[in-house]
This record gives sequence, C-alpha cells and structure tokens, in this order.
Amino acid sequence: MALLEATNITKIFGGLTAVNDVTLTIEQGSIVSVIGPNGAGKTTFFNILTGIYKPDKGDVIFDGKPIGGLRPDQIAALGMRRTFQNIRLFHNMTVLENVLVGMHTHLHAPIWNIIMRSPSLRREEGRARDRSRELLRFVSLDNKRDELAKNLPYGDQRRLEIARALAGDPKLILLDEPTAGMNPNETMDATNLIRRLRDQLGVTVVLIEHDMRLVMTISERISVLDYGTKIAEGDGQVIRSNPRVIEAYLGKGAAGMAGHPPA
Amino acid sequence: MATSSPQTGGTGAWDRLSGLLGRGPGGYAFLSLYLLITSLTLLLNPRTSLLTDVIFILFLLLLLIVYRTRVHIGFKVALGVIALGVVLPYFGTLNPYYIDVATQAGIYVALALGLNVVVGFAGLLDLGYVAFYAVGAYIWSIFSTPQIGAMISGAVPVPNVWFYGFILVGLMIGGAFGVLLGLPVLRLRGDYLAIVTLGFGEVIRVLAENLDKPINITNGAQGIKDIARPPIFFSGALRAIGLRQLDDNQLYQFFFYFMVLVIVLITVMIVGRLKNSRIGRAWTAIREDETAAIAQGIPLVRMKLMAFGVGASFAGTMGVVFAAKQLFINPPTFDLLTSISILSMVILGGLGNIPGVILGAVLVTLLNLQILPRIAEILRSAKSAGVPIPQSFDPTQYQRLLFGLLLILMMIFRPEGILPEDRRRQELHEDEDEPSEESAGATA
Amino acid sequence: MAAEAKAPIRRVSSQRTLAELLRVIFLPLGQLFVFTVGSAAVLGVIVVVLAFLLSRSDPKIFETAVAILPQVIIDGIVRGFLFATIALGYTMVYGVLEFINFAHGEIFMVGGFVGAGVAYLLNQWGVMSTMPALLFVIIAVLLGMTVSGLLAMGTERIAYRPLRNAPRLVPLISAIGMSLVLQDAVRMIATNTPLGFNARFETPDFGKAFQLASIPLGARSIPVLIGPKAVIFIVAALLMLLALNYLVNATRLGKAIRAVAQDRATASLMGINVNQIISLTFLIGGALGGAAGVLFGMNIGTVNPYMGFIPGIKAFTAAVLGGIGNITGAMVGGIVLGFLEAFVASYLSLFTGGAFSGASYADIAAFSILILILIFRPEGLLGEATTQKV
Repeated sequence: MALLEATNITKIFGGLTAVNDVTLTIEQGSIVSVIGPNGAGKTTFFNILTGIYKPDKGDVIFDGKPIGGLRPDQIAALGMRRTFQNIRLFHNMTVLENVLVGMHTHLHAPIWNIIMRSPSLRREEGRARDRSRELLRFVSLDNKRDELAKNLPYGDQRRLEIARALAGDPKLILLDEPTAGMNPNETMDATNLIRRLRDQLGVTVVLIEHDMRLVMTISERISVLDYGTKIAEGDGQVIRSNPRVIEAYLGKGAAGMAGHPPA
Repeated sequence: MATSSPQTGGTGAWDRLSGLLGRGPGGYAFLSLYLLITSLTLLLNPRTSLLTDVIFILFLLLLLIVYRTRVHIGFKVALGVIALGVVLPYFGTLNPYYIDVATQAGIYVALALGLNVVVGFAGLLDLGYVAFYAVGAYIWSIFSTPQIGAMISGAVPVPNVWFYGFILVGLMIGGAFGVLLGLPVLRLRGDYLAIVTLGFGEVIRVLAENLDKPINITNGAQGIKDIARPPIFFSGALRAIGLRQLDDNQLYQFFFYFMVLVIVLITVMIVGRLKNSRIGRAWTAIREDETAAIAQGIPLVRMKLMAFGVGASFAGTMGVVFAAKQLFINPPTFDLLTSISILSMVILGGLGNIPGVILGAVLVTLLNLQILPRIAEILRSAKSAGVPIPQSFDPTQYQRLLFGLLLILMMIFRPEGILPEDRRRQELHEDEDEPSEESAGATA
Repeated sequence: MAAEAKAPIRRVSSQRTLAELLRVIFLPLGQLFVFTVGSAAVLGVIVVVLAFLLSRSDPKIFETAVAILPQVIIDGIVRGFLFATIALGYTMVYGVLEFINFAHGEIFMVGGFVGAGVAYLLNQWGVMSTMPALLFVIIAVLLGMTVSGLLAMGTERIAYRPLRNAPRLVPLISAIGMSLVLQDAVRMIATNTPLGFNARFETPDFGKAFQLASIPLGARSIPVLIGPKAVIFIVAALLMLLALNYLVNATRLGKAIRAVAQDRATASLMGINVNQIISLTFLIGGALGGAAGVLFGMNIGTVNPYMGFIPGIKAFTAAVLGGIGNITGAMVGGIVLGFLEAFVASYLSLFTGGAFSGASYADIAAFSILILILIFRPEGLLGEATTQKV
C-alpha cells in the first residue's frame, strides 16, 4: 500500500525550476532514499512534502488524504515528521522538553485543565513523560534528558532530533542528511538506528543522504534527483549501473566506467 | 530571545552562599533570623526615610532568598505568609506609604507576568501592552460612574458590588482585545510586530483622548473621576477584632493590598502551570525556532494568539483593579512609557523566568517610587546646602533615562536578565517534588 | 581574488556615460514626481466627490472643501518631504543591517535642537537680524546634519554594534532604550540651558508668503499661499534626495554600501570594511534626519525633546509603505503618507461636522496604514519590481 504519493510536483523560484515534474511513491513500511548532487532539489522536495512550500504544480497524497493545501503543522499532525539538514533543536530547552514538544499533537488538555491541574492533565503529562523517556532510551539519550539541547555533542543532537520526530508517533519520517558530518563509527550507529525505526517502530523512512554506502545498505528503493528532475529510480543495483546517475555524479564521460558505485 | 551566556562569577558566589545557608538547620535558622531582624527593624522604625527604604527592600528580598533555598516547602510557605500576610500589613498601619508601594509593586508584578507570557515565553515583542490595561481600567471606570449615562443616555452606574464581576469582565475583554489585535498582526516578523503593537498602543491612547465626541465614551483628556470602589464586606469583622481606628481610606488600602496579593498569587500559579504544560512548551518552541516548532505540529498562529490573549487578560484584570484603587484615570496614565517600563521589568528580571520577572517588577517599582524620590530629596537638601546642582534636575522626572539605560545595558551585558531562566534546575526539581508553585507564589 | 573582482567593475564604471549617470540620479525623482501628482490627484478627486455628495445636506461644505484644497496639497507636500527625509535614515539602516533603528526619531529631534541652539546663539550675538536668511538656513542645516550624523554614528558604535550577531529583537530593544536615553539627555541639556523644554526656534525674517494663484469662489477669491519656510523645506529636501541618489548610485562609497546591503560576508571578502560602511550609513542617515529636524523646527518655530517620536514612527511607516530598504520607496512612501495625513487632518472634521478631530485621527490613520500595509503588502508600494536596495 502506498503511504505517500507525490505526483508531478513542480516548484519554481523566480526563474529557477527547483523541482521539475517529480513523481514519487513510497510504500508503507519501506526505507527509501532520495539522492542527488548538491542543489538537485532534494531538500526543496522535502519542504514541499511537509508543507513549508506550496508546489506550483502537482498533488501530494499522504495516507489516503490530499495534503497539498495543508499547513505544515497540519501535515505534521497527520503523522509526517521530519528532521532538518542543519539540526534545528530547541536549544534552550532540555532534551526531555524537546521530545515533549514533539508530542504536542498528542496532548489535548484544554487550558482550563492546565490551570486547574486536573487529574486528567496529570495523567496526560505523566503518560507524555513516560513515552518521552521511552523514546529517549530508544535513541540512547535517557541519561542526558535534563541537559540543555545546545550542550549535547553533535551526534546526540542528531539522535535527539529523531526522537523528537518520533514523539509524534509518525507514520512517515523524513530524514534530511541524518549522517552529515559524522565519522564512520557514528554513521554505522545512525544506520542501525534508522533500520530500527522501521523494524521496531514500524515507521516508514525517507532519507536524503550523500553517504552512498549507507544508502546502498539500507534503502529498498532509491530515487535520484538532478537539476530538480527525477532521473532514475530503483533498487541499489539498478541505480549503481544507471549511466545517467553516474553522469550526474561524475560528469559526462564517466558513464563509461559503469559498474562502479558513484561517489 | 534568551541567549547563551556563561555563568557569571556573581551567580557562582550566590550559589556558594545559598549552599551554605540554604540547607539543613542552618537554612532554617538563617531565614527565621533574617525575617525577624528585618521585620523588627521595620516595625520599630516606621518613619519614611532612605534607611527604611533599604530595610524594606531587604525585607522583600527575603522572599527571593526563601525561593532559592532548599528548605521544607511548608516552611517556605509559612515564612511567606508571615512576611506578606502579617508583617507587611501591620507595618502598613504604622506607615501607610509602604503598603501603597507594595500594592503598586504587586500590580506591576501581575502586569509584568502577563507581558512575560507574550515576550518571555512566546518571544513576541509587544510594545503596546498597556493598551489592554487601559481597556480594563476604562471598562470599570465607565460602568461604575455617571460616565455610562453620558455614553448611553438614561443608563445609570452599576452597583459597586459588581466590581467583583467586572474583574472577570476585564479578564475576558482584555483577552478578547489581545486576540483581536493578534489576529491580523501575528503573521508579521518579530520586529514589525513590535512596531505594530506600539502603534496599536498609541491608537488606543489617542482614542481614549478623543472619544468624548461624537459620543462621549471616555470623557476625553479630562479622564474619569470618582470611580467606584467595591464594598468592603469584612470591614465589620476588622473593626470587631479591634482595628477600630482604621478609617475608610486605610481600610481600602488593606483591601487593595490583599486583593492584589491574591491576584498575583493566582497569576503566578496560572503562569507557572501554563509554562510547564503543552502550551508553555509550544510557546518556548516557537520562541526558539518557528520552523522547527511548526514541524512538530504546533499551529503557530493559534499558539501566538493564545499567548497574546492570556497576556492581555492579566492586563485587563489589573486594569479594573487599578481603576478602582486609583479612583481617577486619564489617557496619559496609559502611555508608551508605561508599556516600556513593564518591558524593562521583564527584561531586567529575566525573560521567561517567573521569579526573575517578579524580582524585576518589584525592583523597578521600588526604584521608581522610592529610590528616585529619595535621591531627589537628598539632592535638594544638598543643593540648599550649597552644592552646585543644576537648577531643574529632578531624578524622579528622568524615568526615560533610567529605563533607556537599563534596556541598553541589559541587552549588551546580560540579555538573559539578573535571574535567568534555568530550565535544567527546574527539571531537576521536578524529580524531587512537585514543581514549587507555592514557593514561587511566596516570592510575590 | 580581490584584484580580479575589482578590475571589471572599474572598467564598467568608467564606461558609464553622463547620460546614464543622470538617468540613475534623476529617475527616482521622476518616480517621486509621479507619485506626488498621483496622490494629490487621487485624494483631491475623492475629497471633491465626497464634498459634492455631502453638499446636498450642507451646500457650504463643497465650497469650503474646494477652497482649502490647494492649501491642503501644499501641506501634504511639506509633510511628505518631512517623512521622506526621515524615512531615508530608517530605510538605509534597514537595508544594510535589517534593523529598525528605533532611535532615529530622536536623531531628527536632536537636529531640531541644534538648529534652535544655533538660532539662539546667533540671536544673542545680534547677528541674526543682519545676516541673509539663506545663509542662516545653510549654517543651521549643516550644523544640524553634522551633529545628528555623528550622534547616529555614535549610537551605532555604543548600543548596536556589540549586538550585531544577537537575535533580532535584542538590538531592537537596545534601540528603544537609546531612544529614551536621547529624549531625556536632550531634555536634561535643554532645561539646564536658556533654551528650555519648549525651545523657541528663532529665524530671520523670510519675508511674506508667495501667492501662487487665486481661486475665484463666488464673490470672493481665495488666495493660494505658500510660506517661504515651506519653500525652503521642499527645495532643501529635493537637494538632499538628489545628493543621496548621486552618492548611492554613482560613487564608490555608494557601491560599497550597496554591496554590504546585498551580502555583508561577501562584501567583507571583497575587501570592503563592513564596520566602516555601516558607520557611514548611520552617518548619512543621521545627517539627513538632522537636516529634516532643523527644517522642521524652523517651520513650526519651536522644538521639544519628545517631538521626534511620532514623526519617527510615521517616517518608519513611510519607509515600510514604500518598501523598506528601498531608497526611492522611502521617498515615495513619505509623500503618500504626507498627503494622506494632510487630507485626513483637514477634511475629517469638515466632513463629519466636527465630530472627529482631524489632527488626532490623522495619527490613527497613519498607524492604521502601517498595520494594513504590513499585513497586505509587506513588500511595500514599490515592491520588488524596482527594488533598489541601499
């Protein structure tokens, strides 16, 4: 079953076509990578899916509902969460609070109950804290839950961002370069974490990534963007041998060396 | 808006000191002794003077110290009740001036806490906050005086017992005004929002000045006088317990003191609870990073509107109380300078931090009402003693200079305020016992 | 790398013909002219139509409305140029730093006080009555520009530069503080000198008002007058706008300012001293504000320490109206706002039979415009189409 169907998405900034007629279908429970050289329109595409940009053309259907006209917060509430390329945590909040903020759409206590500190509010807050701690354990950050987010080391910040996204019980999580700036060891941990997202929590994962080893290891399907256009799609094997992909990465003439993984 | 800054040496010393006196039997003894000494000094020498001012401030400082120390919560509450509920009112019978100062400070604490919801929690710079205060004040002033007859011919003032109902009316109308203003402007970027709210504040003031025609709503620049005070239902009881010598004005002084104290406690409780709820966290998230907040499913405009509404409703409430206490209001009472002074309180104390904001409000009010007039007095006597001081220099007239310097210096040297928010500490507290609302309340 | 980048630029600028140069300098004035005539015409027609409709109940309204129209237009032009000259300071600083210099209204006020001080001294020395009026204007304006410009530069150095990388609202709050400090600092100085809180702005005798035309209206004829001070204001403002256009569009300094406005980091990589350029921007904006202060004070005859606040906010409105960061936009916004205010101030009481006082509601009108424009067209009247960022 397709969880997300984006059809014929086009986005133009001024004279520049950032995303050009891209169609992408993501199956429930899969791990999909979107790759492409810098400036290929990958992040713009994410921004369209999450509602930050409105597409000039095309439709997005998420979980059976058209979401093209919705605000980003409404889309997030439907169960599509994301992380950012340049980590965007709430720096002056604690680790635990960051995750609690991610749970916002699941907390419904009306303002009156908050002011009266009603039993139902206490229960809800208690549940939220328990769930947050659970998620923090899942990303191995529970021992740092009272640290301020800005004081975490880089790798921890990445993991916290994922925990925060998970707090919304998403059906789909979009990871924008989750291993950027990581050393091989950290990358391996991140790879495992991404796999556990799907295997243990049943979350469908789409990631933008430059680390080809990671992409080839965990993606069931890969889409390649270049200059805003989707130039190839398929599993690792197909992508590896696609001459247009090699050309996009290595330039014209490199296609003759087909068979070697790009990057 | 909160920026990172290294812990300064002052805070370190403070921590060491409070570590020494803030725990165990030492803490209890120190706090009791402190309360005893300051109280006695005040009660034995109630004359209005610079020395009394200083002791008065030290006396109030107790509440901050109580808040920061680690003693039993019951003890904290007891000290707070004794200080604010017994010693201060009794001191007020000896020197009514100080209880008035305390009431004023309380009013500003509530206003600053309200503005703090908007500026400190949600990070929206509102320079027209006083407008909501004005709305509350005018509501009660119009309805409790013959002014209502000028507006609607034939209408008569409401009975003064309605005052208690009008506190809620002020709350609701203030909140409604907040939402109404917020609706169009909350999509604006931060600095534009600041200017637009400033414009809105000025518009409300200009309207108050000019709406004496075509229909006389506000009585224009003359303002409204003889505003009704609520009936005091406990005056009989007070007289019965021997406080016969109190006249009406003194009674009202106590009445408003306690009323403001109660409102401040409720405000602290509400603000504290909101802060540690999904709503408060959403506000902070918006302040920290709007894009990331919206990606968590937080509806920006709705949450910002809520911040505006909540903040404005405190101002509306306090407006009603202020009008009844003051008996007279006119448009200049609600000028930009008042908005700025409330903003200074929030910034001085520490954006977003409830005890900090309370401290800021008390400090600025005391500075305004006590310290500056005292300095002026000293200058005057120095001048008559022959010290060359410029003819027309009166420090009480230089509030702008004071607030201006305060804002600049705070922004450059300590943008997080003198008592910055410490989310870590607060979280750690939460593991030990319930968040210490009561103790925060005592700081009022 | 810097050398490579500089070479082609120099070539381009040397090839620029005089005609192009003149076009760059005078084109904004053309736009300004169009908007001046346009606003006057649109508002004039609205007023005449309204007056005509209202004249059914009271025939006198139409007569009066038409009779004061030319005077209102002149008033609008004067107000417009006032807002325009102040707005330039906001817009230049905003263009370079994306920062609302809240204290700019006070820079304007200081200019007014410098003018009043100069006038007071000249009067004391007894040379005021003998000196040519024009010479007095030039001395006062130049001194006002110097003091205000340096002051603006100083405020930047003290209160804004340390906060340049802080979150957006931090320097804004500092600027609000600076505005209050300047108000009271000037008050302290003024009340301790013979000037006093409400300082009189003495001027030499400029002669009588010029009669531009006279409108026959029934039996009487109404003269259309323009005071010499208003003429001086308009001429001086025009000269300053021309000079600014030349500076920004045709000099190396202007090019550096535009580069810093585009991208501060890159500009600094190209060897531009960004701090110096920002200081100069404040200097220029402050000098324009100071000149406006002198001319304004001269026009109304008295200055006080709090007089800068409202014109400051209105000039900011004008800058936003025209598209903040855009120099031509600031001028156009100023003119449009000036007209609007003049019309509201003069006609509101007339049309409502005195129920609403025009002068007070003119303020409300200005703020309403600010709110409306920010909500519906935050990019301003001139928008992105002709964006000529400082």
